[in-house]
Amino acid sequence: MKDVILLMVSATLVNNVVLARFLGLCSFMGVTTKVDTAIGMGMATTFVITVSSMGDWALETFLLAPFDLGYLRTVTFILVIAAAVQFTEMVIRKVSPALFRTLGIYLPLITTNCAVLGVALLLVEGRYGFVDSTVFAFASAFGYSLVMVVFAGLRERLALADVPAIMAGPPIGFITAGLLALAFMGFSGISAN
Amino acid sequence: MTGPDLSIDEPLLESVARVVALEGETVWLEPEPKASCSGCMSLAMCGAKGGGVRALAARRFPLPGAPALKIGERVVVGLPEGSVLRASATAYAVPIVLMVGAGITAQTNGAGDLGGALAMFGGLAVGLIIARLIASRLSGRGELTPRFVRRVASGGDCSRNL
Repeated sequence: MKDVILLMVSATLVNNVVLARFLGLCSFMGVTTKVDTAIGMGMATTFVITVSSMGDWALETFLLAPFDLGYLRTVTFILVIAAAVQFTEMVIRKVSPALFRTLGIYLPLITTNCAVLGVALLLVEGRYGFVDSTVFAFASAFGYSLVMVVFAGLRERLALADVPAIMAGPPIGFITAGLLALAFMGFSGISAN
Repeated sequence: MTGPDLSIDEPLLESVARVVALEGETVWLEPEPKASCSGCMSLAMCGAKGGGVRALAARRFPLPGAPALKIGERVVVGLPEGSVLRASATAYAVPIVLMVGAGITAQTNGAGDLGGALAMFGGLAVGLIIARLIASRLSGRGELTPRFVRRVASGGDCSRNL
């Protein structure tokens, strides 16, 4: 259990995909104008990252590694991610058409970005078992969602602040993101010991 | 058809949709496509925008209590922020948390990769059943029905209006 907790803390805070690995910056800047949208988007991305990591693990373990097909890894993972996005939409549509329509109005259609592929490639480096790889992917996605929500909250406050015209919008957003990344660097001192 | 019985005081999450059909007093709308990044000028090339005509057609929804609208007109539709959060938690958080929880429990109890995988799929299935039950309750309360907010001014940029 201790190992699982350490794995989750490491993936969520210490090696945060957005602020430590700088993945998923497009959605980090694009969808963080409102906290509610950021939470919804974070949950959708968490689902896609976790589900796609399961498929990626299976293909890596039973196909790519045994047959020395590492050069096909990126293409294969992109295919798995695309399938996971479609699978997610299909499942939600089957579970509840009303839920599917409502989410389609307020959240982006395609919940994938470079962070999804980045997490899949990090799993290969980690050489985890099935459950550990899924937990790692879930924790990484949770870290992504956490940062999205924190940043959306900051941007909502920034929208009310008296920012000089030349710094308004993305410039002050990037400066804030930089300060947030510095704050998250504080977690890098955490280790198992 | 009546609109959802929800508090007007609750802040609304707004989105733009286009009128695509009129059937008696029911207005059918199609949401305008959103991209998960929406910060890049090359959206049309990377394929992140849209998702195809079929995907949008599948998301058509009726709008109860709308004023007289014309086909092709763009309107802003709103849903209480809490409702959108509950909807996304139901669809995504419940199944995935149960799935990961089941996997961790199985591994802690000594199950290997196969046992963990089976537990995870079981957790996901249970999560989806629970999500279905919660969604039908939300739908019954009218929490998943968007309401008309206003027309989009002709020539207006929807992204700036919201």
